[in-house]
Amino acid sequence: MVHALDEIRRTLKPNGILIDLRPVESNWSVEVVSSAGWQAAGRLSDLPAAVADDEAAFKAMREAESRGWYIKREEEEFAFFYYWDTPSEMKEFMEDEWEDFEKLEEDVYKKTSSLWASANADARVRVRVKMLITIWDKRWS
Amino acid sequence: MTLQKDPEGFEQKTLHKLVNFKDKGVLEIGCGEGRLTFKYAAASSLTVGFDPDHDALRIAQADSPHTMQKHVHFAGASASNIPFSKETFDIAILAWSL
Repeated sequence: MVHALDEIRRTLKPNGILIDLRPVESNWSVEVVSSAGWQAAGRLSDLPAAVADDEAAFKAMREAESRGWYIKREEEEFAFFYYWDTPSEMKEFMEDEWEDFEKLEEDVYKKTSSLWASANADARVRVRVKMLITIWDKRWS
Repeated sequence: MTLQKDPEGFEQKTLHKLVNFKDKGVLEIGCGEGRLTFKYAAASSLTVGFDPDHDALRIAQADSPHTMQKHVHFAGASASNIPFSKETFDIAILAWSL
């Protein structure tokens, strides 16, 4: 990972920038949303592999910074939503795609299903993913 | 399954708020199917998307808008060995890939 950051730096012009855009673990919120508004149903559980990936990414950038390759210009958090029409579709997706990273606990799934069933007909379910974007300036060597 | 990702466009809005892509050369690492690529590449002078997943790259290539086909390119590669000479790009994006 650190080698890749050096390789990227090699291909950047002297005034170039590196954008690090990625989700960060924070027990993402599960919500039911409709034309009437949204309600929180609970939170996903971060699995160890996902937490380890985050730690490795932050560590790599710290290492690149300490070696004088990049200097942080700015950083911002924002939400990135995944939407499904039904709770069962959300559950299926998580079991197929996020099985190593996030766990949808049974109580959260039941609460989501309950809120969705009693909400307006246009209700959908969503996960609020915490995103981090960091802009790094290439440092002159 | 009717999965929708970021229909509000928060990712695109945040990216364009912080970075000006106009006439820039951009290297995107982890471009996948080009979901993010096509949201900024129109303004760039050159965009190269890397990903080790060749199936995803085929989709990116197929979905590439006609107006971008001359200056947007996809390749099966990783950031550990970038086949470009030094000081080629203005912007590098680690797209969900660090």
